[in-house]
Amino acid sequence: MHLKTVGKYIRRSPYQSLAAVLIMILTMFMISIFSILTILSIRLIDYFEQSPQLTLFFKEEAKVDQIMNIKEQYESTGKISSIKYVSKEDALKIYNKLFEKENPILLDLVTSDVLPASIEIQAQKAEHLEELAGMVEGNELIDSIAYQKDIIDTFISWVNVFKTIGIAVIGVLVVTAILVILSIIAFKIVVRRDEIEIMKLIGATNWFVRTPFIFEGMFYGFVGAIVGWFLSLGILFYATPFIQSSLKGIPIFPIPTILLAEVLVGQIILACILGAFASFLAVLRYLK
Amino acid sequence: MIQFVNVSKKYGPDVTALENVNFQIERSEFVFLVGPTGSGKTTIFRLLMRDLKPTTGSILVDDWDLGKLPKNKVPHLRRKVGVVFQDLKLLMDRTVSENIMLPLQIAGIADTAARKKAEEILLDVGLVNKQNKFPLQLSGGERQRVAIARALIFEPQLILADEPTGNLDLETSLQILDLLESINTLRGTTIFMATHNSEIIDRTHKRVITMFKGSIKEDKQGKGKSSAHRNTEEKSSENKDLEDKKE
Repeated sequence: MHLKTVGKYIRRSPYQSLAAVLIMILTMFMISIFSILTILSIRLIDYFEQSPQLTLFFKEEAKVDQIMNIKEQYESTGKISSIKYVSKEDALKIYNKLFEKENPILLDLVTSDVLPASIEIQAQKAEHLEELAGMVEGNELIDSIAYQKDIIDTFISWVNVFKTIGIAVIGVLVVTAILVILSIIAFKIVVRRDEIEIMKLIGATNWFVRTPFIFEGMFYGFVGAIVGWFLSLGILFYATPFIQSSLKGIPIFPIPTILLAEVLVGQIILACILGAFASFLAVLRYLK
Repeated sequence: MIQFVNVSKKYGPDVTALENVNFQIERSEFVFLVGPTGSGKTTIFRLLMRDLKPTTGSILVDDWDLGKLPKNKVPHLRRKVGVVFQDLKLLMDRTVSENIMLPLQIAGIADTAARKKAEEILLDVGLVNKQNKFPLQLSGGERQRVAIARALIFEPQLILADEPTGNLDLETSLQILDLLESINTLRGTTIFMATHNSEIIDRTHKRVITMFKGSIKEDKQGKGKSSAHRNTEEKSSENKDLEDKKE
């Protein structure tokens, strides 16, 4: 009975219903995109945290045997999972590989002399990184030490900024969606005032009259959540090759299907609650 | 069935719609409520539906004290009292059948059972062949019958009919009156009907309560009581005799 009434209410004012669905799609699309980016950033941070790395860059005057000596010192600690010497020539190869497509002119300007030799150390645990870095502190052969930790910290601070902006945008959209649905439901209540009065006069309870409007709000939320999720998923699949190439082999894809399904279920619940809440505010205000 | 005891109703401090109204209507009675516009007829009906509350006095409908009736019980009262509204209050975008089913659906009765019941009532009011028409496709008299059918759907013990013949010609008005009389006689339903139509009143010789400026001007008992009313009265007098004998 109530579902039939909801169908009728939607059919009778299709433009208002379309506006409600569109604002819900936009809101849920943004929430969906935000959720997927959060999942990706968490997976990226996890990857970095699970592969603690330290890179020692050597000065120009460092000889290969001196570097090898330091390498042996690290191997003897038993706290590293791998260690790799990158010579000036290797560094040039890496450099060339990085820029051959993006900016070939740069390749002619750089020779192996300007690039430092380095040692890439993979620690067994993240907490070993500081101790391992301390082993060469004050060593005259060392030009600089790059911590993975610094990269992660910078990345986390960026993610936090992104989260704050994302939450603010979503907050504004959620409030807008609530106000739009509230206005549309209020409009429909006013349009159907006579019908509501008749129903009450022949014995309808307040909830009998209110329920279809609340279901209608939930319906807008439900449709918005499903369409918003599919749209964001489409964008994710479209952008996956680009993101993958930018991350240069860091394995954050594919996102497990179960996780995406959880995002969908969460969104449907949230959207239905939002729709119901907005409609409830409207019926409280206009159906006394 | 209905009891008004010292009922007054004021709209704000200055406007008095009813002033110290007292009357009683027995079960299965057929009573006309007459009076000029603004005499308080509609206020009495609205009080009986608990659309309004009396300013002073008490109103009893069966066992319900309407002044003390909590808000959440009002829908239950309205399902017990069938009302034929002056402006009919039919839903124009629903068919005859859907209009009549609506009170049952509101009460949570399944569609199939509601449809069956609606068909039975439509048969009673002679509209079964119009059940899929919309109210705008019907004549005035037919629409009035739909409104009566909707009021009958719960088989109420009381029907309030507010000017049900207001916009109809005499012939159709008499048909509507016949229908209400047959409901009164066959079902024993109490009918309380407001009207301006003196011809109808003259023909039926029922009890007439005349209102004037918010007060009862006259309460004229009818000459011919309906058989249902006579049966009820007979039963109550038999009961009284039995009680007397016991004593």
